[in-house]
Amino acid sequence: MATIHIVPFVRASVSIFRDMLDLEVRSGETEEEGDSFVSRGFTVIVGFTGGWKGRFFLDMGGETAMHIASSLTGESYSTFAEEEVLLSGAELGNIISGNAITDINNNNPGLNLRLTPPSVFAGEDLSMFNVRLSSCSVLLQTDAGLVKINVAVEEGNK
Amino acid sequence: MKGIRADGTPIKVMAVDDSPISRKMIKKALEPVGFLIVGEAGNGKEAVERYPQFQPDIITMDVTMPVMDGLDAASIIKGINPQQKIIMLSAMGDDDIINQAKSRGINDVCCKPFKAEELLEKILKVLEN
Repeated sequence: MATIHIVPFVRASVSIFRDMLDLEVRSGETEEEGDSFVSRGFTVIVGFTGGWKGRFFLDMGGETAMHIASSLTGESYSTFAEEEVLLSGAELGNIISGNAITDINNNNPGLNLRLTPPSVFAGEDLSMFNVRLSSCSVLLQTDAGLVKINVAVEEGNK
Repeated sequence: MKGIRADGTPIKVMAVDDSPISRKMIKKALEPVGFLIVGEAGNGKEAVERYPQFQPDIITMDVTMPVMDGLDAASIIKGINPQQKIIMLSAMGDDDIINQAKSRGINDVCCKPFKAEELLEKILKVLEN
């Protein structure tokens, strides 16, 4: 997978963390990810299909997820497994990937990428495996904790 | 307050989005300035079914939803009431989707993430026209 594919997702993530969640963000370098990585405890997955196929992971710790949910809803949460924390993570993943896909579509007429509904995984010691797709990651340092963005893309219809 | 008309009545809004968080954010943006959220729907089919009951002044409509998407729901609602004002509120805002929205009679587009001030100004502008 070309590392350039992650760029719109990084750009969208940084912009949304700053503008929507009011968090300062420092972006790390792009790294090729191995066959698997261990989740920090809270992972949002959004797929996309169309001219390309792939998926976007947004991975963070439980405290970060609760902070984000509180920013969005104005409520407080005691555990990251609460429904509104899960739903907030899903919505954040949806907004970031929607913005990134919009950017990609506008720069690649005819690609017509569309999103699949998000899924959220929350728990200790979860491993995320890449099957058939190679992926890239960028680590974002935010005021609410570390957030990993991971993107895998397969170009063209195969 | 911007959501209250000169005659003292609130502007009525129907919020359509499959994300309860997104609907909460819409309420958080609009209710403090006087708008009244008269109803909600979690997909386009529910929006069409509940529309006659709520009779909103304006609808905020997400695009990507299960069962029926926002574009199809907007077409049906505009068929029921061609004067109904609808603002598309979506994370997906590419040129193709915006063109489809316009062809379905959607009055304006507001991309997520939205700022509260931006959403309410767009609502007021659509209602003025």
